[in-house]
Amino acid sequence: MSLYEGAVKKPIMTMLCFVGVAIFGLYSLSRLPIDLLPDIESNMIMVMTSYPGASASDIENNLSRPLENTLNTVSNLKHITSNSSENSSLIILEFEYGYDIDVLTNDVRDKLDMITSVLPDGAQTPIIFKFSTDMIPIMMLSVQAQESQAALYKILDDNVANPLARISGVGSVSIAGAPQREIDVYCDPNKLEAYNLTVETISSLIAAENQNIPGGNFDIGNETYALRVEGEYADSRQLNNLVVGTYNGAIVYLRDVARVEDRLEERAQESYTNGVRGGMIVVQKQSGANSVQIANAVREALPALQKNLPPDVQLGVIMDTSDNIKLTISTLAETVILAIVFVIMVVFFFLGRWRATVIIGLVIPFSLIASFIYLAITGGTINIISLSALSIAIGMVVDDAIVVLENVTNHIERGADPKQAAVHGTNEVAVSVIASTMTIFAVFFPLTMVSGMTGVLFKQLGWMMCIIIFISLVSSLALTPMMCSQMLRLQKKQTRGFQAFYSPIRKMLDALDHWYSRMLNSAVRHRLAVVIGCAAFFLISLLCARYIGTEFFPTQDSGNISATLEMPIGTRMEISKDVASRITAQWRKEYPEIQVLNYRVGQADADNVFASMSENGPHIMTFQVRLSDKDERKRSMTEIADGMRADLVAYPELAKYQITAGGNAGMGGQSTADFEIYGYDMAATDTVAQVLKRELAAVKGVTEINISRGDYAPEYQVDFDREKLALHGLNLATAGSYLRNRINGSTASQYREDGDEYDIKVRYAPEFRTSLEDIENILLYNALGESIRVKEVGQVVERFAPPTIERKDRERIVTVSAVLSDVPLSDVVEAGQKLIDDLDLPAGISVQVAGTYEDQMESFQDLATLALLIVVLVFIVMAAEFESLTYPFVIMFSIPFAVSGVLIALFFTGITLNVMSLLGGIMLIGIVVKNGIVLIDFVNLCRERGQSVINAVITGGKSRLRPVLMTTSTTVLGMIPLAISQGQGAEMWRPLGVAVIGGLTISTVLTLILVPVLYCMFAGTGIKRQRRKLAKSRELNAYYQEHKTEMTKQKITRV
Amino acid sequence: MKSILITFDQAYYERILAVLDRQNCRGFTHWEQVQGRGSKTGEPHYGSHAWPSMNSAIITIVDDAKVPTLLDILHRMDKETEQLGLRAFVWNIEQTV
Repeated sequence: MSLYEGAVKKPIMTMLCFVGVAIFGLYSLSRLPIDLLPDIESNMIMVMTSYPGASASDIENNLSRPLENTLNTVSNLKHITSNSSENSSLIILEFEYGYDIDVLTNDVRDKLDMITSVLPDGAQTPIIFKFSTDMIPIMMLSVQAQESQAALYKILDDNVANPLARISGVGSVSIAGAPQREIDVYCDPNKLEAYNLTVETISSLIAAENQNIPGGNFDIGNETYALRVEGEYADSRQLNNLVVGTYNGAIVYLRDVARVEDRLEERAQESYTNGVRGGMIVVQKQSGANSVQIANAVREALPALQKNLPPDVQLGVIMDTSDNIKLTISTLAETVILAIVFVIMVVFFFLGRWRATVIIGLVIPFSLIASFIYLAITGGTINIISLSALSIAIGMVVDDAIVVLENVTNHIERGADPKQAAVHGTNEVAVSVIASTMTIFAVFFPLTMVSGMTGVLFKQLGWMMCIIIFISLVSSLALTPMMCSQMLRLQKKQTRGFQAFYSPIRKMLDALDHWYSRMLNSAVRHRLAVVIGCAAFFLISLLCARYIGTEFFPTQDSGNISATLEMPIGTRMEISKDVASRITAQWRKEYPEIQVLNYRVGQADADNVFASMSENGPHIMTFQVRLSDKDERKRSMTEIADGMRADLVAYPELAKYQITAGGNAGMGGQSTADFEIYGYDMAATDTVAQVLKRELAAVKGVTEINISRGDYAPEYQVDFDREKLALHGLNLATAGSYLRNRINGSTASQYREDGDEYDIKVRYAPEFRTSLEDIENILLYNALGESIRVKEVGQVVERFAPPTIERKDRERIVTVSAVLSDVPLSDVVEAGQKLIDDLDLPAGISVQVAGTYEDQMESFQDLATLALLIVVLVFIVMAAEFESLTYPFVIMFSIPFAVSGVLIALFFTGITLNVMSLLGGIMLIGIVVKNGIVLIDFVNLCRERGQSVINAVITGGKSRLRPVLMTTSTTVLGMIPLAISQGQGAEMWRPLGVAVIGGLTISTVLTLILVPVLYCMFAGTGIKRQRRKLAKSRELNAYYQEHKTEMTKQKITRV
Repeated sequence: MKSILITFDQAYYERILAVLDRQNCRGFTHWEQVQGRGSKTGEPHYGSHAWPSMNSAIITIVDDAKVPTLLDILHRMDKETEQLGLRAFVWNIEQTV
């Protein structure tokens, strides 16, 4: 018993099977997390090695190079880059996508074990560190405070950060902009000198006094008691009364030589939200956790946390990545719903029967819902890719069901009982339905095998589509016949209202049929003209390609802008702060779209995981701007970012600025054209970088140019004379630590209060470390207790520390990246390439285009190979179905016109050729040949029934016009919501929708004319060849009959 | 005793079985898939790509008296849905065991 026969005989079982799958699917859906993109496994491993005291070039020669040479042998490595800066080397290994990062990490570790013994003695063991997108904060909370400012860190740490860190999935919670409490012991060097004291003595005295010592247990009578000495200070003021020595018989207290201040740490990052000082809380997720779930949990927890805070402390949200994800997904979900409505309307329009429409419509939800089960099983998420798959599939899943339903209706109209009609009608078309579904598989299955970054994205799409199409095939062979047998009746009478409504549509469709058959009639009689016309159209459309730019991924308007502004190195934080507050005031006035504007300025504390990872310093200001939702503002994110850049030109104080709109380039952020300058000579490469920067600035569409190499930082160095040091019984380490303890301070001990610990730092008071003389007058003590001034054993000189040395693929490199605004990446890369060609490069320096453009070219190549593979696969499927090589060849002619359609559509909408529009083009291969299959199949049938070629083409064409138009319009209309959607994230899938709509429309119109014409030509030559063959064999036969007697006689005589 | 060979489009099967039951004709032999075409207008039933539909055939041996009513019913059935195609042929039965 076949599938459809069983389904028709057991309607309850069939229905319940599908309902069961649907329930399971909906259950899966309810448990699916939401995310922006499928989980992209990280492909980067970092190796950090520190070598205290080594300069950037020492690090490069002694650490980075040997490490690079060894690590370069790890397999599947794509690029190896290194940053050699003072004291540390950082090597970043970038691997090809799609390999198990754990295996790669082990490989890296093995290689490191080999090299460790060769590294310099002072270098520490290299640390392996896996980089992933999880490091990017998912949420930033702002904290505004007035009176509680002084104790903000403790308040936030106890009441906000710790509770938030307990939420499952939250990785780390860092507090920025709230300085920590610190007990400072500010010494007066003159008094220390007078009393023969040093910072070190005071520091060790504090450590010795501030202690609790357990004394053991002892017995008194029947009892055992514990003995303790409790010396820890209960109040920071008690430090003042510490005895630090005696002088001439009198006791010297700490208060005599220093002042104790219970205050906030000296150098801390300050954070301002909308101009008001406060703190910032940064939430990072654990690897693999879901951003939206965490953000929801954090938002839920906020009101309760707010209650525990003092009334002047206000929590707010600066940035929440889940907002963008949720909005994007809901926009896409809307387009899916719209697509379903459109498709159902098309089906009703063509079939004109509501029962038929319901039967077809039922296939959509069942097929779509089943794919959620796949997502749940494989641990997938609802994301752009999986929802796009649903959106694309809607128009396709109904195709098979329509074919089945149409044939069943035919049988019913011929007088068969619905049950019998359902079984036999399905049986007749089952093979061709399976074959046409195979062509769709041929398109989407190879998608699951793409490599690289695009492969990660398209793997899910490929599987989703295969599963959806498979379920739709099963539904059309089981659910549709069953529903037909239950619901379809021979229509004996139509209501008057329905007739009034539908008869104009019917008349129109009839007129269309009639017009098409007349046009086809004249076309097949002017075959050459049609072919030449189509070829000309194809060539003209190719001209559009010259005006279409290319890029990797479209820029997505996420409403988040971040900016890093740098004052000249060494600028005091107060100055930077002032500039930042002026810029903030200006921006808030100029851009009312800004909802939250937060900036941080100053040196970040080492405890702050997030801030210490990003660039920071007293001269650096980091801005985070959140704009209002996309549909609530007129200006786009990039327009505002461009405006901000223009504003910054008016601030000559700024040495450098970088504005990033929408996150990283490549995946939805503003795209950048990166040019890599390779060359050993730093000065020469710097010059080339500067020239390139100046020239690129003139290129249209370039709004900002950044050079990766930092500036030389000015610093003071103390050059000790080793001989003099030795004469005084000192060495460099001792002398260096004396300097450090006086300026940076030595942490003497911890002050404990309410379970929290605060550092007690001993150093010179701020007023005694403001000039070079102060440094020169610092007293160094040798083991004999003799004092020597710094200026006696060395001198303080100003020097420039070289910047970080960057290397890529074992060569020194500087990257010049141009940020683009509203121009295709290809234009700027082309212009840049031309500039480079004109540039007179010194020997040993080469310039290469890299970054996003490199990714783009790789993806385009992958996709082109894929397209070729798909064309071959589709041809094989068709050839197998038709058992012929000619007909598939004829049908293949619809593919070039799909290309024309895509190009024309992109040209008129001004959309670039990117990965998404290429994906649309690739899908078209399967969709457009489907039309040809439907057409040729029926023409063949007519010929088998005995019609002449031209007659068969015209009758076949006329009878297949509606099915072709119907399946095409379901797909096109299913895509329209994608193409016209304006909501959040729409930039991402608009190219896909536009490409499919353009390609499919043009290709279908031309397929309906060109394919029948070509069929006539090929079938005509086929017939002529057959006739010639026949005539030849007839001649041969006649010859044989004539000379039969001779030939047989010869044989006999031979025997 | 006469034999009636009924050839018909597969879709008729259940209705013909019902007719035979109603007429108390218990015995019959059924071929599920047979091919054929009509002499004048009948559409071919080949189960091929061009002519996908198939015929079935039933032969039943009935009393002479039942033949006219049965043929009458079958004829009416054919008239109602001519496109499907139904034919019946009657032979004499010489002997049975």
